Amino acid sequence: MSGQPKNGMQCAEFDALLSDALDGNLSGQKFDNFQSHSRSCAVCGPLMAEAEAGRRYLKSLEPVEAPPHLLENILVATSGIDSFRLASAARAGGQISSVGDTWFDRLQEWAGTLVSPVIAVARQPRFAMSFGMAFFSLSISLSLAGVKLSNVRHADLRPSAIKRTYYETSGRVVKYYENIRFVYEIESRVREFKRATTPAEPAPQDQDKGKSPKNNSSEHQEQNQQRNYSQGENQPMLASSPNDPPVVMSMDTNRRYS
Amino acid sequence: MEDAQLAAMLVRRCVAGDAAAWEEIAQRYHRRIYNICYRFVGSADDAQDLTQEVFIKMYRTLKSYDLERGAFMTWVTTITRNLLVDHFRKSKQDRMTESLDTAASEHEDGMPLSERIPDKAQPPDAQVQSREVGQTVHGALQKLSPELREAVILRDLQDMDYKEIATVLKVPEGTVKSRINRGRAELARLLQRTYKQVM
Repeated sequence: MSGQPKNGMQCAEFDALLSDALDGNLSGQKFDNFQSHSRSCAVCGPLMAEAEAGRRYLKSLEPVEAPPHLLENILVATSGIDSFRLASAARAGGQISSVGDTWFDRLQEWAGTLVSPVIAVARQPRFAMSFGMAFFSLSISLSLAGVKLSNVRHADLRPSAIKRTYYETSGRVVKYYENIRFVYEIESRVREFKRATTPAEPAPQDQDKGKSPKNNSSEHQEQNQQRNYSQGENQPMLASSPNDPPVVMSMDTNRRYS
Repeated sequence: MEDAQLAAMLVRRCVAGDAAAWEEIAQRYHRRIYNICYRFVGSADDAQDLTQEVFIKMYRTLKSYDLERGAFMTWVTTITRNLLVDHFRKSKQDRMTESLDTAASEHEDGMPLSERIPDKAQPPDAQVQSREVGQTVHGALQKLSPELREAVILRDLQDMDYKEIATVLKVPEGTVKSRINRGRAELARLLQRTYKQVM
């Protein structure tokens, strides 16, 4: 869009007036200027036609009907009271917590108000799925750990029993750790003993030393690595011969989504 | 009684503890909020979840609504828009590259209002054609950037005026008009491209 005024109007001004023009709220000299600008400007003319077409398309969309249970779900999720009860209360001409209710009804209603938003959220499929998965993983973990819920007795939950279980478990862990340490110690002794008794073999790098003295350098390893990330396996290593002329390689590695 | 006055009265009754008033609010506004959500997110299930979230938030913050600061519908639309922004950030829906054909929604397939209440004056061919156009336009709407999408939805589908839209989107009126123009033009371009591909 250019900033040059055409027919007494700039493109920016045209853009600002376009919505009003499409709404039919433009009149007089302004409307005339607007019209002549839209006819003469190569950018604003098509823009107006497109905006008008887009508006027509949008106006052709009809409102969709809400799902049948949406209102009930909303009421349950918010006030925790279903529509039927509200309707009967409205017919009675009073508020929901009427005087005739027993204390148990009122308690139930109060608890329902507190709990129902949570239940409504929990009833959504994604949360139900998450709870299911959590329960599943918990039960698997318990069974792997060897805990059986049927074995848990009342006595096990007493402070003294919990304390005893704690000491027993920590004792078992310490014992296990000591055993493992002993086994590792034995193993390392045996390894040392083996190494001392068997004759030493020549190291593989010593054999290659005469053929390629630079093989062990970390620089060469880095070069190899770089080649793996940046080049295909079939491509020759052109950069390794410094006397060769520079070769331009066209590799289409940058992919675009558009 | 005017809409604004009725809404204000309902809010007062609701804040005072009248549950029937809350039900009336939900009944009056749920369809409109559902439509905004549906046209923005494109999926009936997400729209349903979001509409419920809007009402839960409304229910919790109804006391904070100040009649002096604007119309009730503008306040409700602002809540809806904020939740739509949150939802958009979570789902990153604009990065999905579905074709216009697959973006056609379940609503357009099954339960648009026109199909639920069949118009006998319209011949069946015209009904099918209008349904197809509806599907395509709805699909194209999902391709718009969220800023342009929300502007055209509020203006052309919800018939809100520029000032109200500016309040909801928290941008100047000029920006609203510019977004609406760009949104409409972009939509027309997308649809022209789609129809060219079909032909």
